[in-house]
Amino acid sequence: MNVYALFIGGILPYLAILVFLGGMIYRFYVWFKTPQPGKMTLFPAPSSLAGGVISEFFFFPSLFRGDKVLWVFSWVFHVTLALVFLGHIRVLTGLIDSILMSMGVSDEGINWMSGTLGGAAGIVLLATGILLLIRRLVLNRVREISGVPDFFALLLIVAIIVTGDLMRFGAHFDLEQTRVWAGSLVSFSPVVPKSAMFQVHVLLAILLIMYIPFSKIMHLGGFFFTNALVKRR
Amino acid sequence: MSQDAIQVSKTPDKKKPAVKEVNNKNKEKKPVVKAEDVIKEIKAIKNGPKALKLYMEMCAKCGTCSSVCPVYYGKADKKYNPVERSDLIRSIYKKHCTVTGKFLGGVVGARDYMEGELEEWAEHFYTCTGCRRCATYCPFGIDNSVITRKGRGIVDKLGLTPETMQRVVQISLETRNTDGASPEAFKAAIDFLEEEMKDEHGVDINIPVDQVGAEYFYVPPSGDVLVNSEATTGVAKVFYALGMQDKWTMSSKCFDGANYGLFTGNDADMKADNKPYVEEAKKLECKVLFMGECGHAYRVMKMMMEPGKWWGDLPFKIMNCMEFTADKIKAGKLQFDKSKNPQPVTYHDPCNFGRSCDITEEPRIILEASCEDFREMYPNRGENWCCGGGAGLSAMDDLFDFRMNVSGKKKLDQVRATGAKYVAAACSNCKRQLSQLMEHHKEDIAVGGVHDMLSRSILINGKAAERVEY
Repeated sequence: MNVYALFIGGILPYLAILVFLGGMIYRFYVWFKTPQPGKMTLFPAPSSLAGGVISEFFFFPSLFRGDKVLWVFSWVFHVTLALVFLGHIRVLTGLIDSILMSMGVSDEGINWMSGTLGGAAGIVLLATGILLLIRRLVLNRVREISGVPDFFALLLIVAIIVTGDLMRFGAHFDLEQTRVWAGSLVSFSPVVPKSAMFQVHVLLAILLIMYIPFSKIMHLGGFFFTNALVKRR
Repeated sequence: MSQDAIQVSKTPDKKKPAVKEVNNKNKEKKPVVKAEDVIKEIKAIKNGPKALKLYMEMCAKCGTCSSVCPVYYGKADKKYNPVERSDLIRSIYKKHCTVTGKFLGGVVGARDYMEGELEEWAEHFYTCTGCRRCATYCPFGIDNSVITRKGRGIVDKLGLTPETMQRVVQISLETRNTDGASPEAFKAAIDFLEEEMKDEHGVDINIPVDQVGAEYFYVPPSGDVLVNSEATTGVAKVFYALGMQDKWTMSSKCFDGANYGLFTGNDADMKADNKPYVEEAKKLECKVLFMGECGHAYRVMKMMMEPGKWWGDLPFKIMNCMEFTADKIKAGKLQFDKSKNPQPVTYHDPCNFGRSCDITEEPRIILEASCEDFREMYPNRGENWCCGGGAGLSAMDDLFDFRMNVSGKKKLDQVRATGAKYVAAACSNCKRQLSQLMEHHKEDIAVGGVHDMLSRSILINGKAAERVEY
């Protein structure tokens, strides 16, 4: 195991988790305690705050009414992202497998889901990511407000998707070794897989994870705070 | 509302009071703005309010707001893009208050305040109509009007509020009404309205003034007494028809709910403008502060002053006159002769009533009861497009071209599509903007209030007003 591999797969993951958790908790805490005088409800407001925020979280109804094209790109992108996230839990731990098995899904079934659903998700995610990028470049009203962070976040995510897809569809992907790596991180004795593509994928993903608390991707948490302000009756 | 608002009802204006001349302290000379003062104001956002802080830190720049903004619809110019305008403040906030902004600067869109920039801000933040339509469609509910108001507040604090706007604030603070009318002038106008109603119905329909102990204290925008007075005669007729003539009152000192402190972003002015009204309501021992057809006045009272407890717990409720009238109509207590209003009528939802206060069905109940041909404008209610004169722009004559050709463009299309000959708007700001818009674009469409239509068709002792010309 060379020193780069050890750094990427054996040291950075711990740093990433620290930076991510620390950053997120700090940002949430500060937002939570910042005072808000007065009411700023937007009508028609949902009958319950929780209901309003939850439906916004799952279906983006405001965006749907405002911009249908962006809604399609964005909703599909985020839903696929959530699926891929679940897929990664399956790859890294045995958790999803054991849940599926307890539900009576066979080994072949799980492999089919991984191959077909996971493969499709990889392609759809790449396609919507690129569509979002194209939209940002093509629409005047969006391009004129776009800066480096907007392109950087998208490009970084697209690069992670591309390396992920290359592993899935290209070279042989070693599920066993990946789970060993995840387990070895938990026991603080990292063993990093040798695949160069894997290492690049992990490095980019770690960059993204550490970048999230300082970036526009914080909309994943700020979402609840801002929506709660305008949806409270 | 400004005095020279276009008159919709052809009421003779012989008794119209003259605008009191107010000396303008801001006229003297342009103040010198120090960069550190602006930066200090922006840094303070770190400590709240929560909405503003979040808006500084988490816009995803998806561009949805620009596709639903009346100003950007009117002209797709970068300076009218809501994000671009909000970024004036956001970029400086990033520089001073975020980790990435401090270390990476321009790469992440952070920058410092540039000397002399605030003069430009005074222009940019007065091209947002504060309609909150962006917030309705933003996936995060980011309300750019909050950032606009902050921008205007900084501009105001450093003495650069546009003169046309500052003048209204000062007149209002000095005379308690935006028209600068004296109590005597107000009383003369009320006498005139009472005479007019006597002519219309042959009976004495009173508008009580300064009656301590009356249940309802009616606070309209001053324009509804001095300029487009049918809304006030409408309210008077409702009370008369209900046999509640002695249950309401107006005040000769506090007859204008308009509060331009909301528009200049100056909280101290907003509260100073508001306080006399709350005190007057207490002095009159009313049970209900009965707000008239003025969107932002009602919003300041109902959504800001009351829940924010500016003056503690209140001994009265806050209600809008349209809620009251609509309730009585639903209960079958008011009768109408719809044939008095045969022309197609549509309703423009003022942003402050629709999006900000949830008053959308009441005006429709009143208009459907009093007009033969009520038709909707699309989209409507919480999704309605701004008239183009929101956030005080309507009163600014220096923005006339902008309002007629940019911010009001969508509204014009929308009104035209209804085929209506009368647009009702429960807001003096909207009314001024809409009537100028119709005249400027040579549309023969009248503009007025909601109770105006009621005033023409409500039955008093079984008979509607006898008047042919309006």
